[in-house]
Amino acid sequence: MPNAILDPTGSVTSKAAKATAPRASRPASLKGARVGLLINTKQNARPFLDEVGRLLEEKYDVTLTKRTKTNFAMPEPDEIIKEMVADSDVIITGVGDCGSCSAAAAADGVVLETAGVPVAAIITDSFIPTADAMAALRGAPGYRYATTAHPVAVLTEDKVKERAAQVLDDVVALLTDPSAGE
Amino acid sequence: MTDPGAPSAPAAPDPDEAQRAIEYCYSRGWSDGLPLVPVSQPLLDAFLATTDKDPDEIIGSLEQVGRDVTVHLAAINAGLAGCRPEYFPVVLAAFDALMRERAARGGGFQSTSGPAPLIVVNGPVRSELGFNTAGGAFGPGFRPNMTIPRAIGLIVRNGFGIQPHVLEQATQGVPGRWSICVAENEEESPWEPFAENGGVTGGVSAVSATLTRTMEFVDNRHTPDHEDVLRDFQDTIGRIGSLIFPQTSVALVLCPEHAQMFAAAGMSKADVQNWLIERCGRTGREFRMMGKESVATNTFHGPFEGDEAFHPILSGPRQIPVIVAGAKNAAISMVVRIFGEWSGTAVPVGEKK
Repeated sequence: MPNAILDPTGSVTSKAAKATAPRASRPASLKGARVGLLINTKQNARPFLDEVGRLLEEKYDVTLTKRTKTNFAMPEPDEIIKEMVADSDVIITGVGDCGSCSAAAAADGVVLETAGVPVAAIITDSFIPTADAMAALRGAPGYRYATTAHPVAVLTEDKVKERAAQVLDDVVALLTDPSAGE
Repeated sequence: MTDPGAPSAPAAPDPDEAQRAIEYCYSRGWSDGLPLVPVSQPLLDAFLATTDKDPDEIIGSLEQVGRDVTVHLAAINAGLAGCRPEYFPVVLAAFDALMRERAARGGGFQSTSGPAPLIVVNGPVRSELGFNTAGGAFGPGFRPNMTIPRAIGLIVRNGFGIQPHVLEQATQGVPGRWSICVAENEEESPWEPFAENGGVTGGVSAVSATLTRTMEFVDNRHTPDHEDVLRDFQDTIGRIGSLIFPQTSVALVLCPEHAQMFAAAGMSKADVQNWLIERCGRTGREFRMMGKESVATNTFHGPFEGDEAFHPILSGPRQIPVIVAGAKNAAISMVVRIFGEWSGTAVPVGEKK
């Protein structure tokens, strides 16, 4: 009997792995909702999310809580996740426009959904494969997020606002459409 | 046909079987593109026998992908990479050194910049294992120098599951990624071994590691004035296109000739570092003229302080570690661009008790 060829691949550790990470249930509307903005510090992420927030205030009379990600490349620490869950009805995070930060946006989304808060993560369309891979790794294959065309970092202020307006419907749908929570 | 009466030579291995085994490894998606050495239990056992560590010990974790690497997994990947079992303690030290670096733990392997590990080996292990310590320091041609960084690459690919186009998002990446392992030329260096700067003294074998975004040569073999040579380094370090933050970090990999020239002028490593720390930088005007204000204003460091002010781009010796490598046959050195920051920590190569 010859020796077997040994497999060099690792598997997801018990801490991160969830067979199927549950999605949060969605509110019917964002009317008067407490919206958490998680700004990942990448260039233009702040004006982008500021504008998304401003439009939501205008349309749905939401209240905003803004936070800056501790480290754009990493999922948020547990204590920040707890705070966000406590003070937000829904959360918007972005803009994932790099290898590690787009994956981290998806990872934050999955963790927050598991904790019961609907999330709309916004990433640039260059990073769909990495966001999908991270969501699958976190037990949420097919996890839905919003995309905007790459790049965002080089856009002027006006263009950033335009992009924010363009993605708004997708963000609202992600946060309120019951099918986004399935 | 071999004469059955001849003294017995070892049987030649079966090439067809070897090819099937190599293709099997490709088909499983384990390869970085080059052929792998298929690992069997006896080979794995030989690797594990070189260390006192428990095979199940976790030696590195990437929180963002939720994966841990064990000694066992590292050993299989080191075998696949073509390492000999006796290299394994160096692989473990290199992986340990790299995983101590915040830049590697914090998303470096996923980064669009596609940085490459730079591994530096010091001490007697260099000659014991047959590392190249002389000409062609950045390779290829020598088994330990080539296979040890490849082992790190395979651990990242297979152990952490970070694969190109998926969780690995390099835009172009770095030439020579997973193949840069320099054994310091301690014999021709005028200064203390690099590991000593990283905390391992007494000539103990040790490994240091960081991530690099690329490197650029400084070829100056025309002047007897060591400050002319330093000015070449100053200019190369001060490149504007690679400056994505107000400050940068480089490693100087000096050839023995440059290092000895500086030493002959009475300079220690620290003197070379301080000379460059004082002078590498730009004025506010230069930054403004080159449209680099946003580099300052978009980061936490705040804006540049006016046109006349000089802004150093190296904040201290940690931003410019100095290593001596290569042959003493020409005055050619390398400025290595560090991804993030390098603590410079040296990790002793574990000895089996």
